[in-house]
Amino acid sequence: MNNELQLLSDYVRKETSHSGEIDADEDLLASGILDSFNIVSLALFAQEQFGVEFEAEELVRENLAKLSNLVALIRRKRAEGASRS
Amino acid sequence: MLRKIAGPFREFGFFAGTLYIVDRLLRGVSPGLGLFVYEFMVQPISDKPLLPANFARGLAFREIRRGDPEIALMPARPEIKESRFDQGAVCLGAFKNDTPIGYIWFCFNTYEEDEVRCTYQLVNPAESVFDFDLFVFPEHRMGIGFMAVWHGANRFLRDRGVLYSFSRLTRFNLASRRAHDHLGWKRLASAIFLKIWNVELMLATIFPFISLSFGPSRRVRLLFRPDVLQSTE
Repeated sequence: MNNELQLLSDYVRKETSHSGEIDADEDLLASGILDSFNIVSLALFAQEQFGVEFEAEELVRENLAKLSNLVALIRRKRAEGASRS
Repeated sequence: MLRKIAGPFREFGFFAGTLYIVDRLLRGVSPGLGLFVYEFMVQPISDKPLLPANFARGLAFREIRRGDPEIALMPARPEIKESRFDQGAVCLGAFKNDTPIGYIWFCFNTYEEDEVRCTYQLVNPAESVFDFDLFVFPEHRMGIGFMAVWHGANRFLRDRGVLYSFSRLTRFNLASRRAHDHLGWKRLASAIFLKIWNVELMLATIFPFISLSFGPSRRVRLLFRPDVLQSTE
């Protein structure tokens, strides 16, 4: 989880110029670090970086607003991919 | 109290913060007084999809016409919606599995501002539109809602040969400013309208720069050109 979290945190800092620590369970929309535009950019970054493909239905606040939830989704998608292949 | 006064300066900067406070004071005196601070923006209409195919799965876009059931879902007052159709505006709706996500309105040739007496005229109407009132239903705002509407709008406009979209945003609407920044909009001009009951004084950064109107018979006309895009590319 740490490696994924680190990459996602770094991306959020770069995208938003947020300089502070990012807690994995922090709601980044509620805290104003992310908005409805860069949350989509974050999902795109996660797709490319971790080689997964999200369904449109998965692009919701519950999965994207907290990095811990996004990491869980990435892992679930990877596991699904691995079980199919 | 001090924090309340400092808030607008922190949010908008010194100049716009001052304008915001003046506007609040004027409106406190009478609803017939006010300061309208606008920025006029333009963006090129991209021929590249805004969303990847898997994000756009299940999305559909179609024109919402006068009398369609979706009209009733729009928060604007009925007479406002009627007046939009009367001036030839087109509304594009974005749908996910047949459920409306949001919509955006477009005007061709000219747009009649409804807050002050001003007409925005597109200098090259064959290749330009004026967009306004982009609305995303609350349940879709923290997902792909805004991007989905523009994803469909780009395609809709490109198919009609439109290369540029213009819009007006209120200087004090930070969410709208951020949204425009994300989509790569450029500012082409700014204007301030001081409204004193029936009298309107406009100062703008484009021709005619200054205008004074004493009644509804005189509307100032601002011409919109996409030149700012060429100068920064």
